[in-house]
Amino acid sequence: MEVTLKIFRYNPEKDKKPSYKTYKLEAVETDRVLDLLEKVKGYQDGTLSFRRSCAHGICGSDAMRINGMNRLACKTLVRDVGTRITVEPILGLRVIKDLIVDMEPFFDNYKKVMPWFINNDPPPEKERLQSPEARLRFDDTTKCILCACCTTSCPSFWGSDEYLGPAAFVNAHRFIFDDRDQAAAERLKIVNEVMGVSRCHTVFNCTLACPREIQITKAIGELKMALVTGVLS
Amino acid sequence: MKPRTVSFTQRGFDFETFMWFFTRVSALVMYALALTGLVGALIMGARTQMNLADLMRWVFTPNVTHVQNTNVPDLAPWTTSFWKLVASAFVFFATSHGLHGLLSVIEDYLTLPWLRRTLRILVLLLTLFMIFVGVYLIWTS
Ligand code: SF4
Ligand code: SF4
Ligand code: FES
Repeated sequence: MEVTLKIFRYNPEKDKKPSYKTYKLEAVETDRVLDLLEKVKGYQDGTLSFRRSCAHGICGSDAMRINGMNRLACKTLVRDVGTRITVEPILGLRVIKDLIVDMEPFFDNYKKVMPWFINNDPPPEKERLQSPEARLRFDDTTKCILCACCTTSCPSFWGSDEYLGPAAFVNAHRFIFDDRDQAAAERLKIVNEVMGVSRCHTVFNCTLACPREIQITKAIGELKMALVTGVLS
Repeated sequence: MKPRTVSFTQRGFDFETFMWFFTRVSALVMYALALTGLVGALIMGARTQMNLADLMRWVFTPNVTHVQNTNVPDLAPWTTSFWKLVASAFVFFATSHGLHGLLSVIEDYLTLPWLRRTLRILVLLLTLFMIFVGVYLIWTS
């Protein structure tokens, strides 16, 4: 089948403003959008720029807007989106070139929630034991691959990139509800701030966008409840 | 196993989060107030003395002006302090709930700090003014 691929193109060093370029190419319905982009770059237009690494939905580097939805190009099949496909960079972050955006504000917000394990007790001889139930409490949010599909689909983040954003909340949730961690209070304080969870209006865009199918809005709801009640388990 | 908790002082107070919580609670409170108005009106004879539109007006603000043009024979039970309190509570919760919603919209769409601050103060003044006028009218009408 023939696929029409309309791609957002912008090179700030040369172009005055962004434009769209259309490419036609042969594809099968099980091709991924990433395969199509590789074909365009390899055979039609070497100047096309995009990020990708693993090509298996685990590194989180190829988040883009495909027919208006934030998705990973490597997890989106032609079958899922049809033969007319528009590909654009994710929203709310500065475009560096074509489909590549500046991820710094995203990672800055991520770092704010201290996304690392904190426990000042002397480490036990073997390992810090945890019950299966306690592990299950935050299982969902361990799956995040930091692709930014969620945060860049969130209207609150479009309004201000100081808004911590769903990805930061997901990673805060991952440690706050881990009973081996000791910095829950500090992290709760951070997500409680002016540009924190109260800016989330439960729009559910993030949950729809997450390629790992994390129940993000639910996790944010749990953070809000923890802030109100103080109960973590 | 005892539940893990974080004390209030540890997690800190934030006005925005407090207002988020207040907005949820005030919605529930308004349901309760509306139900109070409805049940109260029915007990006072609204079923035969009022049409649905008048009843609804009473339910959302139990103020005696909303019963004056109906077939209610005696206005006395509708003008007690209890109903004035319910109406005042309604004005307080509806105004603060609604105007905080307006504030959220403003803060989501405006990025200029000085404009945000100005509108923030304006919304606060508007809230206080509307609550004052509403409560004043209820107790003097
Ligand atoms: S649910 Fe909250 S965080 Fe998720 S997209 Fe909506 S506003 Fe953003
Ligand atoms: S929560 Fe989902 S959408 Fe957001 S960064 Fe993590 S994997 Fe991506
Ligand atoms: S290329 Fe790694 S997630 Fe798509």
